[in-house]
Amino acid sequence: MIQLFNIYKTYSGNIHALHDISFTVKKGGFYFITGPSGAGKSTLLKIIFRWENVDQGQVLVNGINLSKIRESNLYILRRHIGVVFQDYKLLPGRTVYENVALAQEVIGASKKSIRLKTWDALKSVGLTQKRNAYPLQLAGGEQQRVAIARAIVNSPKILLADEPTGNLDPEISQEILKLFIKANQSGVTVLFATHSQNLLKNTNFPAISLFRGKMTANTDIS
Amino acid sequence: MKSFINSFIAAYAHIKANKQVFLASVSSMAMALSIFGLFLFVFVNLSSFFASWSSGVQLIVYLDDGMGKDEQKDFEKLLTKNPDVEKITFISRDVAWQNFQNLFPVDSGFLASLNFNPLPASYNLQFKPSADRVDKIRQFAEILKHNDKVESVEYGEKWISRFETFMVMTRIFIYALGSLIFVGLVLVIYNTIRLSVYTRKDEIELMLLIGATPRFIKVPYVFEGVTMAIAGAVISIGIIKAVHLYLNFQFMDPLASITRGFSFQFFSISFILGFFLSCATIGWIGSFLSINQFLNSYYKK
Repeated sequence: MIQLFNIYKTYSGNIHALHDISFTVKKGGFYFITGPSGAGKSTLLKIIFRWENVDQGQVLVNGINLSKIRESNLYILRRHIGVVFQDYKLLPGRTVYENVALAQEVIGASKKSIRLKTWDALKSVGLTQKRNAYPLQLAGGEQQRVAIARAIVNSPKILLADEPTGNLDPEISQEILKLFIKANQSGVTVLFATHSQNLLKNTNFPAISLFRGKMTANTDIS
Repeated sequence: MKSFINSFIAAYAHIKANKQVFLASVSSMAMALSIFGLFLFVFVNLSSFFASWSSGVQLIVYLDDGMGKDEQKDFEKLLTKNPDVEKITFISRDVAWQNFQNLFPVDSGFLASLNFNPLPASYNLQFKPSADRVDKIRQFAEILKHNDKVESVEYGEKWISRFETFMVMTRIFIYALGSLIFVGLVLVIYNTIRLSVYTRKDEIELMLLIGATPRFIKVPYVFEGVTMAIAGAVISIGIIKAVHLYLNFQFMDPLASITRGFSFQFFSISFILGFFLSCATIGWIGSFLSINQFLNSYYKK
């Protein structure tokens, strides 16, 4: 599903964000990407949905080499990938429903589809009751649920999560993790970046460990 | 058509959700357009003023009193043959005398002492406006001067020459100033739209993340840019109209008496429509460039 071959990424100021990263993610798998802050987890995810370009190496998603995709066609790749961030990235001026529906609107879905799919997505994260609330009226965990609903509303093949529990307490974090596991059980490939060892303890998913931009392990947690 | 309507609705939603940014942007544009519009107002009125001056540039040919009717016809043919002559007016001796008498009070002793008409008949020739009009008048005056039936010619050579130079210099100054103001206007509009795009950085970023096409993102911003520019143009035309009304109210009577009926002109309907169209085009180009530049900064990461 996702293949990375000898990826190098350097930011200005000669900061090596990623150094010779190679791994393969199988279709329908659930993978943790672990490591401390500054390990390169976010950069790695950004490279997979081509928010960042690599300096060296090749990235294949569904057999398509990302470097061959023209900038004006990047939207095609991104429509197959749902992304969830630590800071939720919700639009404060739009309601919960409108935030989730936006993902349907941008792909040009019909009004009927927008209504049905947005409702389904909100239902799957348990937020139908709060559909008319604004993001700032919600707790952190609820805001992250809205972000997850927005990420899954277009039925993506891949779900990328960049520290989605970074701002949440352990109990809520477990609930958020369960939502990703639920999505994975429906066939979605999930890459879940986290520095929390607690989340990894209770699962048996493989983990890709990074430290200062280098891969230190590609292990099966179990 | 459906996507066009959707983009228009999206633009309206953008404006509604960001009223303050929209109003601030429209105000900046209205100010910039008012400055440019006031310049155009001055330009239009100066042109009209100069045109009234220009019509006063003429060659007067005084005829010999002994010129017969047939000779006069031949002479008139000679004048009309000149392709640079725009208008010919014949003033007979009687008309000239009447005009002269009108300059004096009815009971003037000077007129009473003149018991004959000393004024000759004349032709007033107006020449077509051109860069070398003075030369053409001079050359034709030289030809006519040597005609037996011409008593004398008069055209205020020095004054016309100075006037023509003044007109050329004024035009150069006006065009240079106009170009500078126009460039400034385009930059103000471009940067205003750019700022309004940057205030919605997060929203655009999110749209890119969730798979919006570049067109889906661009079109509402372009609509919004055009709307801003047209709104700014409407306000600026209102400001210029207010200035026009004020000037006419305060200065029309004294100006009319000094300048032989000159009054401040406002823009014609076609000019106003052209102004709106130009502003809409600037708004379109400005917003298109701004959003393109913004999106490119993301693609080049």
